[in-house]
Amino acid sequence: MAGKTRLGWVLGSVLGALASMGAAWANGGPLVTTEWLEQNLANPTLRIVEVSVEPGLYERGHIPGAQNVVWHTDLVETVSRDIATPEKFQALARKLGLDKDTTVVLYGDSNNWFAAWGAWVFDIYGLRDNVKLLDGGRKKWELEKRPVATNPAPVKASGFTVSQPNRTLRARLTDVVNVVEKKSDASILDIRSPDEFSGKIIAPAGFQELALRAGHIPGSVNLPWARAVNQADGTIKPVEELRKLYAEIGIDGSKPIITTCRIGERSSHSWFILSRLLGYQVANYDGSWTEYGNVVGLPINNPAGTVWSGK
Amino acid sequence: MSMSDDTGALDYHRAREAASGGVVASELRFPPARFVAATAVVLVLAGAIHLVGTHGDPAPQLQLSLILGAVFGFVLQRSRFCFLCIWRDWLDRRDPRGLLGILTALAVGIVGYTLIFGAWLPDPSGARLPPTAHIGPVGPVLVLAGLAFGAGMAISGSCISAHWYRLGEGSPTAPFALIGTGFGFGLGFLSWNELYLLSISESAVLWLPRHLGYAGALLGGLGALAALALVLLRVGRPIGGTEAESQAPLHQVFVARWPSWLGGLFVGLVGIAAYLRLSPLGVTAELGSRSRQVANAFDLLPERLEGLDSFRGCATVIRDALLTPNGLFVIGLVLASFCAALASGEFRPSLPRPPQILRGLLGGVLLGWGTLVGLGCTVGTLLSGVSAGAVSGWVFGVALLVGATVTLKLGRRLGVLS
Repeated sequence: MAGKTRLGWVLGSVLGALASMGAAWANGGPLVTTEWLEQNLANPTLRIVEVSVEPGLYERGHIPGAQNVVWHTDLVETVSRDIATPEKFQALARKLGLDKDTTVVLYGDSNNWFAAWGAWVFDIYGLRDNVKLLDGGRKKWELEKRPVATNPAPVKASGFTVSQPNRTLRARLTDVVNVVEKKSDASILDIRSPDEFSGKIIAPAGFQELALRAGHIPGSVNLPWARAVNQADGTIKPVEELRKLYAEIGIDGSKPIITTCRIGERSSHSWFILSRLLGYQVANYDGSWTEYGNVVGLPINNPAGTVWSGK
Repeated sequence: MSMSDDTGALDYHRAREAASGGVVASELRFPPARFVAATAVVLVLAGAIHLVGTHGDPAPQLQLSLILGAVFGFVLQRSRFCFLCIWRDWLDRRDPRGLLGILTALAVGIVGYTLIFGAWLPDPSGARLPPTAHIGPVGPVLVLAGLAFGAGMAISGSCISAHWYRLGEGSPTAPFALIGTGFGFGLGFLSWNELYLLSISESAVLWLPRHLGYAGALLGGLGALAALALVLLRVGRPIGGTEAESQAPLHQVFVARWPSWLGGLFVGLVGIAAYLRLSPLGVTAELGSRSRQVANAFDLLPERLEGLDSFRGCATVIRDALLTPNGLFVIGLVLASFCAALASGEFRPSLPRPPQILRGLLGGVLLGWGTLVGLGCTVGTLLSGVSAGAVSGWVFGVALLVGATVTLKLGRRLGVLS
C-alpha cells in the first residue's frame, strides 16, 4: 500500500517535472496549487490545516474550511524545546480529524516556513504521503484575492494512532557531530543567509533566539532557502531547476542530507523540497545553530571572525 | 485660574446655560469658511484613505486602520467621550449620563467580543487565550499603573484618547500632554525590568471566560454593568434635556453634542470592528513604540526589556515601517476630530499658557508611565480589556478612578486644579 502510493507520487513528480510548470501535478505530488485547492474546497475527504506564526491571522480570515494549528504551542513542547510528544501529536491529529488515509493540505504565513515545519512533524509521526503543501501558501492565496472565511469549520474527530517517531527524518546533535568528525558521510546544508553563514552576524535583526558563537558547522554548504522559490508569489521552483540548483553545491541525493538553519523552521522548507519533491534522504536538524553554535568547544567555521561581546 | 475652558468638563453645563439663555433654535447653517475648511479636511482624509489603499503594505490593514481611526475620532469628538470629564460630571454634579455612556460602550464590547470569541476559540476552558485580545497580568503593578494614570488624567485634564481628539479641537494642553506621555513611556521603560522581576512576572493573567465559561462571563459582565447603571440612576440627579436645541437631524449629528449613550454605543462597535478585523482598539501603541525608538536611538534604554513584548496589550515593539496600523489609526482619529470640531464650531485653538503647558507635561508623564506598565490606557486596557473579559481591564478601571478622584480632591484643596 505504502509502496504503491510512493510510486504514485514519484510518477506524479516525474509528470510534473515534464510539464515543468507546477500546475500540472495538481493533486498527484506533494504540492497543490491554489487553483486546485479552491476547486476542491467542498471535497469532504480533504482536510486543510493552517500553520502560521502570527497570532490572530487564522482567526481573522483563513482558507474556507481550514483548521488551525498554533505553531507556538501545538507542535512543540514549549518548556523543554522539543517537538510535540507522540501523545500530544496524536490528540491534535484526532481533534483535526486527520488520519493516514485523509488528504491534508498544509499552508501558512511567512512563505510556508511553519507549514513546512508542520509537514516535517506530521511525517515524523507517520503522516507523509497524503500530506501536501499549498504552493505559495497564504501569500499566493491572498495575492490572487481568493476567498477567506472567519467561521470555524467543525470536523469529526478521527481515531488516528500515532506511529513510532521516524528517527531518520530528524537529525540530533550527535548526528551532526558525527558528520563533523567524519564518522558519517552525510552532507550538511545550511540554508541561512550568507551573512549568518559567514559569521558576519549571529542572527538576523530582531530575532531573540541567539547563539554565543558566529559562523557555521564545519563542512556544511550554504544555499539560502529563498533561492528555491519564485520571489513574486512564493511558489517553489520546478523540480528540474531545483535538482540543478542543489547539485551545484554538491547536494545531489547520492548521500544522506542534513538541513539546518537557526532554529530549524526555515530549514524545514528546504527539507520539504529535498525530501518530498526531489525524493532525497533528508533529516532536518531542529536544534540548528542555536544548539550547535552554543555547545562549548565544538569545532566551528567562522570566516568573518565575529566574537560575542568582543571589544 | 480656571482650566475648564479646555477640559470640556462644563460641556453639559454650558449646553444647559445656552438652552436656558434662549439660544434661538436654528437649522444647520455652517458659516461658509467653516464649511469649506471641514470639506477640505474630509477630502484630505478621503485622499489619504485612497492612497493608503493603493500604495500601503499591507494595504487592507493599513487602510482599514485609517478608516476606523477616523470613525473613532468623529465619535469621540461628537460625543465628547472624555473619561475624566465624565467622571467629573459625576463627582461634581452627580450627572450620570456620561458614565452611562461608558457602561454602554463596555456592555456593547462584551457582547461583541463574546460573539467573536465563540467562533475563534470555541472552548475557553483550556490553556489558550483568544488571539491578540488584551488580557493582561493582574497584580500590584497594574493597580499602581491605574493610580498613576488616574492622577495623570486629573492633572492634564483628560486621558490619552481624549487628548488625541482634543488635538483636533485645537486644545492648548493636548500637545504638551502627548509630549509628556512620550517622556512617561521613557520612564516606564526604565522602570520596567525592576517591576517585571519584582512583581509582574508572577502576576496571573486572569481571563473570566476560562473560569466562568462564555455564558457566565457574559452574564456576569452585563450584570455588573447593569448593577452599576442602576446605582448611577438611583444616586444621580436627573438632569433636564436641552429641548431648546434644534431637532433638525443634521444639526443633531454635526453640531449638537451627541448623547453619551450614543457615543458609547459607537465606541463599543468600533472596538468590535477593530478586534474582528485588525487588533483590539488602542491609541498608544504608536506613541509607545516611537518613544522607544527615540530613547533607543539615544542609548537611554536597557539592552533588554524582560518579557515586555510577550504580554498582551498595547505593544511597544519597535517597527521599521514608516506607516503602521496604529499610527494611521491615530492620524485618522485626529483628522476626523479636527473635521468634526470645525463643522460644529468647536475648533477653538488658543495659545498655551504656562500652567497649561506645565499641567500637560506633568500629567502626560503620569499617563505615559501608567500606560506602559499597565500595558494600555482607558482604551487599550480598560475598554478592550473589559470587552475581552480580562480582569486586568476592571482592575485598571477601578484604580484609575481612585487615582483621578484623590488627585482631583487634593489638587482642588491646594487650589491648583479646577
